[in-house]
Formats: sequence, structure tokens, C-alpha cells
Amino acid sequence: MSALMTLKNVSMSYHIPSGARGGRHSVFNNINLALAGGERLGIVGRNGTGKSTLLRIMAKIFAPSSGNVSWAPDTTVSLLSLGLGFRPDLTGSENALLACMLQGLSKRDAAADLASIQAFSELGDYFDEPVKVYSAGMRARLGFATALKNRSKVILIDEVLGVGDQLFRDKASVALREEMSEDRAVVIVSHAEAQMRALSTKMLWLGSDGKRAVGDVDEIFTLYNQ
Amino acid sequence: MDTLARFQLKAEARRFVLGYLWWIAEPLLYVAVFYVVFVKLLGNQQPDFLVFLAVGKLTFIWFSKSINQAAMSLVNNRGLIGQVSLPKHLFPLSIVQEGLYRQLAVFAFLLLFVMGSGYFPQLSWFWLLPIAALQYLLIVVCALVAAVLVCLRRDFQMLIQLGTVFLLFMSGVFWDVRALEDAELAGWLMALNPLVVLLDSYRQVLMHGEGPDMVRLGWVLVETLVLLIITMWLYRRLNFWLAQRAVTQ
Repeated sequence: MSALMTLKNVSMSYHIPSGARGGRHSVFNNINLALAGGERLGIVGRNGTGKSTLLRIMAKIFAPSSGNVSWAPDTTVSLLSLGLGFRPDLTGSENALLACMLQGLSKRDAAADLASIQAFSELGDYFDEPVKVYSAGMRARLGFATALKNRSKVILIDEVLGVGDQLFRDKASVALREEMSEDRAVVIVSHAEAQMRALSTKMLWLGSDGKRAVGDVDEIFTLYNQ
Repeated sequence: MDTLARFQLKAEARRFVLGYLWWIAEPLLYVAVFYVVFVKLLGNQQPDFLVFLAVGKLTFIWFSKSINQAAMSLVNNRGLIGQVSLPKHLFPLSIVQEGLYRQLAVFAFLLLFVMGSGYFPQLSWFWLLPIAALQYLLIVVCALVAAVLVCLRRDFQMLIQLGTVFLLFMSGVFWDVRALEDAELAGWLMALNPLVVLLDSYRQVLMHGEGPDMVRLGWVLVETLVLLIITMWLYRRLNFWLAQRAVTQ
């Protein structure tokens, strides 16, 4: 199966203009990775090792400092992060519609997806209430349901699955395994080892000082827990 | 972009008890304040001074409000920018679009007010369409530039706010560029500040039933289009950089 997304020698560094820590700081170096349809990549690493930055590079939001990222033609990517993206004054339904349209769906297609988003998110009547009255778990459910149902080829999940009650977490894990068919792929960042073991088909470890490794689940968790 | 603008308007209307009524209430309050200050307190006897002020102020606030709101559009939308790969001009432009919808209500109010003050609609009023279209283009360019500047350094937000207040006094809202004694100075003001030309054009059409100064308007159009092309090119070049700045600021 050809890759949906390929990373070649991807590195990221940023510049701190002045002060004691001023200068160029490297986040990670030379990541090589291919993600094919049907694969679920788990990313682990301590805080500050660049997991969220890497997801943003995969989502075509940031450009890497060096290296190259390529996507198969017509690959749409959805990034889910906690507390981001929703407009608090708009209702869940309006936010979902907007999110689908920003992913490139037409207004009609986006509106057609709303019923399934509402059903999956289990928000009930809250779907038509402004997002500002939602709890963190409800926001996470809305975000997850929107990404799952908006037909994106690749879903990138940044710590979102840890929020929400156990029932929804289980439902989300099942949905990720079942709905992400052969032509879709998932990348998950999480600190929850059990969930990562259950979901990932392969893993990437980002260590401090730019160390990194790609491998199977057991291999990477041995490294991560050292 | 249009959906974003409509949703923003809806969200804003929901935030206020009076909702959409503010679209009309705001210009009405401006005219009321002008009446109290200039006619009652300062005793201005000049006939039609109130119409003169209303035309100037109600077209100027379209510019100033749009620019000040659009300036914050990239920074305020950092959540969305950090989550979806989008062309960044979408954010200031959706604010400008939102302002356009609001301004349609303001224009309706303004026309009623002008008519209520004894000016009858004439064919020349059709000039309002190209003049407003040109002002819209100018707002688009300035909004795009303002949003990048604030993304670069937050301090620009203060400068832009101060700048629009400065422009309020320098664009002929309270004075008539045609009444200036120094013709050379008037020429310079018109050449340097496109808002002077636009405000004067609105007044020529609405209050004097005459066409605007085509040469001046033509220059504004050319300058605006050149700037628009440069700005759109910059947005394309800076797409990733703007995302990084907006998210990490």
C-alpha cells in the first residue's frame, strides 16, 4: 500500500531572540517515517520533545526547518487538540459545520454529516447550545466526532482521548479501529500507555536531545520507560 | 469565508441583549451625540453640518472598525490556525466581510437620514456603489496588512488603534477638504490619505448631487490594487510563518 504521508529527514528548530536562552534551539532532528492507509501511529515522548509541533507539521500547518513532508494526492488531514479550534459563542452544531467546511467539504456535504456527528458525540440537545457552556469532556467529544465523521484521510489526535469519561474513551477507541478503514490513517499522541498499546500499530518515540526511534509497540515502550 | 463571517455576526448578535438592533442603534447614537455636541453645545449654525458629519463619520467607522478588528484576527484565531491548514488571509477577510454586512445597515440608515434632512435621491447617487466598492477594497488591503503587523509584534495593535484615531481627525470627518484655504495642502492631503478622497466623494454625491473627482478616485484604485497584489503574494509566501507566529505568540 502506498503511503498517505511521508516524512524525510524532518527537523525542527526555533529561534529565541534574546535572553539567557537566546539562540537557535533544536526540537527534533531527521525524522524519517511513512504512514500508510490502515495504520495507527502512536507518538510518545516527555513534555517539550516536540510531539505537538510534529503533528502540526504533519497537518500542513507548520513547515519543518529542514527536510521534506509529502502527502498522497487528495489527502485531507484533521488535527484534534484540546481546547483549540472551537469558537465559544457558536453552537456545537455551527462549530462542527464550520470545521467540516474548513476541511474542504461543501456546505451541503458538511450539513449532511451533522446528524452523525451529533449522534456520535452523544451531546443530545447540547449540540445546539454555545460551546462555551460545554465541559472539557464535551468539547473533546465534539472534536473527536467531527474529525471522525468529516471524511479526513488522516486524523491526528493530540491528547484528546484522555479527556471524556471511560465509556466515551472506549467507544472512541473502537471507532478508531473500525471506522479508519484501509484508506485512512491515525496518529495519536498520548501518555496513556494502555490506550496506546491497544490502538497503535506502530510507534515513534521522541526523546530529549533530539533522540528518536520508530518501531513496534513493545520496542518503543521499553525505550520510553527507561 | 462568508460562512465564517455570518457565524461571527450571529455569535456577536447573541452576545448582546439588543442583538442585531445595534447595527442601527450605533449610527443613530453617533448622530445624536453629534447633534448634542456640535449643534446644542457649540451652537454651530452652519446649515447641514449634521448631515456633513454623519456622512463623514458613518463611512469612516466602516474603515476604522474593520481595521481594528481585523488587526486581531490572526492572533485571536490562533486556536483554529493551530489546528487547520488554511490560507491565512481568510481570517482578516472574514472580519471585513462581517463589517460589510453591518455597513449595509449603516448605509441604509445614512440614506434615510440624508433624505430626512431634505436631500432627495438623484441619479448621481448611483456613484455611491463604485465609491463604496473602492472603500471596501481599501479596507481589505489595510486589514490584511494590519493582521500581519499584529502577528509580527503585538505592539502594533496599540499603534493601529492610535493610527485610526489620528486618521479620524486627518481624513476630513470634521472638516471639509474643499474649504481649506491652502489648495496645495488640500492636494497633499488627498494624495497621501485615500480616506480624504473617499469621504469627499460621498459628500459630493449625497449632498451636492455631483459626481466624484474621478482622477483622484482612479489613483486610489490603482494604488489599492497594487498593494493588494503585493499583500496577497506576501500572504502566500508567509503562510507557514504566520501560523507559527500566531500560535506561539
